[in-house]
Amino acid sequence: MTDMESNEIKKPLTIVEVIDGGPLKITGNIILKDLKKDITDNPSEVFLCRCGHSGNKPYCDNSHKC
Amino acid sequence: MMEREKTSFSGGRKYSNDEITVYWKPDACVHASYCYRELIEVFDPGRRPWVDIKGAETERIIEVVNMCPTEALTWKWNDEKKNKDISIDQTNHIKFRRPELMSTDEQEIQENPVSIKIMIDGPVVIKGDFTFQYSGNKKEIKEGIISLCRCGASYHLPFCDGTHRKIGFEDK
Repeated sequence: MTDMESNEIKKPLTIVEVIDGGPLKITGNIILKDLKKDITDNPSEVFLCRCGHSGNKPYCDNSHKC
Repeated sequence: MMEREKTSFSGGRKYSNDEITVYWKPDACVHASYCYRELIEVFDPGRRPWVDIKGAETERIIEVVNMCPTEALTWKWNDEKKNKDISIDQTNHIKFRRPELMSTDEQEIQENPVSIKIMIDGPVVIKGDFTFQYSGNKKEIKEGIISLCRCGASYHLPFCDGTHRKIGFEDK
């Protein structure tokens, strides 16, 4: 196999999933930047709040169930 | 001729010591001048070749290459195993800046990381190559950008429609 052939377009490995009635789940190769808290991180999995009620933003703390 | 092959790659030149290889891509340089102000012993524009990789300790060279605001200077470990697990504060490591210089095997493992930005009192902006799943839809996004609601009040969920400003959404 030549370099050209093996260089075909790869399927993205990162998955961004909106959980109905729940948080945003992101898994894969990511760089997370929180501009307000000035935090940079590269977790392999993260759950982000989508309801606005988390006490631990930007992360989900299950407040949406309340 | 042999020497030339060793020190060239498409788009520029490379310089190796025992531990690392520094890549120089002249087209990408915006002359921010960090390199020679910080480390003239290695990066001297008045000398030919202008990079003397033996002019400083590896650690210091990495530090200064990471200051380059463009992809003009990037670096990687010669030991490929060390390139897999690289910290994101190594901003000019080729894994983050120039993945095309890694071997094909390496690229499979380390594609460009997807950028997730939590905007101040606003949405989450996701940029890069990823699979996006919502309400039964599944889309392959290539070099794309999406902005998702974090306040819960958007009329176009899961997407941001700017409502966070009207309701005074705040990150605490």
